[in-house]
Amino acid sequence: MKTDGLDKLLQDTLKAEVAASAERLSDMEKRVVMELGERCPRLRGFQWLGQLLAPTRGTRLGQIVVVGATAAIFLFVGLTLSDRVLPEGGAPQVSLQPLRSADGTQEVVFVWPAPLDAKTVAVVGNFNAWEGTDLSDPDGDGIWTTSIPLSPGRYEYAFIVDGRWQGHDPRADEVIQSFGEYSSVRYIGRGGDGV
Amino acid sequence: MYRMQDEVSLLRASLQGDTGAWGEIISRYKDAILGLCLGFMRNRADAEDVSHDAFIRAYVNLRRYDLERRFSTWLFTIAANLCRNKLRYRKNHPSTEQPLQIRGGIDPAKLVGAEDRQAKIRKVLAKMPYGYRAPLVLRFYNELPYQEISSILSIPEGTVKTRIHRGKAMLKDLFEEGA
Amino acid sequence: MISRIAFRFWMIVLLLVLPAVGVIAQIPLVEYEQALYSIPVFNPDFILSTIELGMTQGDFPAEPLLRLIDRLASHPAPSFEKEAILIVLAHALGDGFPIEGLINKASEGLARGVPLQQIEQGLLVRWSLLVLTREELLWSKGIFSAPAGLPQKMPTAIPMLRFNQLLIHISETIGDFLEGGGSPFEGHVLYQEVHKRLTMLQGVTLLPEDVELVLNRIEPSDLTQVALAAVS
Repeated sequence: MKTDGLDKLLQDTLKAEVAASAERLSDMEKRVVMELGERCPRLRGFQWLGQLLAPTRGTRLGQIVVVGATAAIFLFVGLTLSDRVLPEGGAPQVSLQPLRSADGTQEVVFVWPAPLDAKTVAVVGNFNAWEGTDLSDPDGDGIWTTSIPLSPGRYEYAFIVDGRWQGHDPRADEVIQSFGEYSSVRYIGRGGDGV
Repeated sequence: MYRMQDEVSLLRASLQGDTGAWGEIISRYKDAILGLCLGFMRNRADAEDVSHDAFIRAYVNLRRYDLERRFSTWLFTIAANLCRNKLRYRKNHPSTEQPLQIRGGIDPAKLVGAEDRQAKIRKVLAKMPYGYRAPLVLRFYNELPYQEISSILSIPEGTVKTRIHRGKAMLKDLFEEGA
Repeated sequence: MISRIAFRFWMIVLLLVLPAVGVIAQIPLVEYEQALYSIPVFNPDFILSTIELGMTQGDFPAEPLLRLIDRLASHPAPSFEKEAILIVLAHALGDGFPIEGLINKASEGLARGVPLQQIEQGLLVRWSLLVLTREELLWSKGIFSAPAGLPQKMPTAIPMLRFNQLLIHISETIGDFLEGGGSPFEGHVLYQEVHKRLTMLQGVTLLPEDVELVLNRIEPSDLTQVALAAVS
């Protein structure tokens, strides 16, 4: 049998298996959304805002009025309190880039989703001589974060969750192996300013 | 009402807390994610659990996702990492669950032959090391370019090519061995 | 365009200022001497003399080295194993190599709880990669480091600090590649890796013309040769 045939067979096999899970997949959206509602109750508070801002929802007159009034208030407060201007179309700007100072040093955010019962999460790397900087999870959602000021360059790091090393950060620009274990790498200052 | 919206609009709406928009994202990606997880994992229940968790985790972390980057790569990376974690967990906590069985979803006329070959490929895939199985699945099921696979699995692009090449040879050998 | 000129200006200022900062930020030799006594090492004179020599290098990692010696001092392993690590660093320093990458590797190994003999082995490979890469750049490619402070007369004579940065990144990429299970014969993959790392740092910590010079002159087969020599 030709190898190319095996490629197709592999694809068909997985397609058939996905099809076999069709019943269970059918309500995945509902189950995920319900779980999100339970896990992240604070998100529900913003849902009305999201519904108002979703482009296809502003067709009815009442909503147009509400959207207009809300946008006016937000725009006024926004312009009064800061020098940041909303982009065209009124959609909220999503800025996830690290803060940058004049000498190029940036506050780089390190994030690790740990099991909900995790007690300590730290990040170690060549920026702290491989001696830990603690992450925190004040809202208890299992997402641990910290930010570290880093000058432009290349940095190797790993997380330590309750004493166990985790070197595979999904936000890393690359992952290398060191002493048989994984370490993540981030490039700061250009291209690789990851989330 | 979300069907016609482009991905970025849906993601922006999701960031505002609109879980309905997130539901549409799930609809668009659930087949791709489940297929990926079925290829990576050794049993269906785990693959379904990981797919579900991937959408939860992606939503919770959405505010940290950079809209300039390709969303599918980011989502696949989350799913791939969850699979890897689960496999590690399974290694330490072996499951009593039965491995995957092939069911329905194909032309009944070809059912017997196809089912037999698919069952065999499933067995062969389960025997392969994760390092080779994962790039093969991403390449041939998710139909991703090498560069994206490299980014998802955090291995150099050259290594991806080598692993796919060797993985195909391994797949062929194991398939013929079991034939 | 303006920002590019401004960037180049600041890069040059930074590279000129670095040696001065190195001198200012130096730690007195007696600090290292005391730290070595607490290990204790059998041959402190050799290590101290190379540290003294290294202090004249603009990129001498004064603080990380002292921190590493302190960490070794509190390690439960026998002192000869600790000294073996410092001897590798001292040799590299004595030959004028940048040792920040070696110190980083050793610190990572200690943090991961890797046995000291294994750390030493890792450092030996990394050190030999520094040597082989420098030889390759110098003898095969005609790229060499010019003494700091002298005007650059030839495009291939790169001021030492800039040269050392290239050396660190090329040799470390080969080291990472080999450690990740890569084969020295996969020269093209290795070249891609070097290309990726240098271009990611181009205009960040490496000057664009230095990166271009190296990438134009080096070929996959050169890297295969270095990698092969390091593992054999």
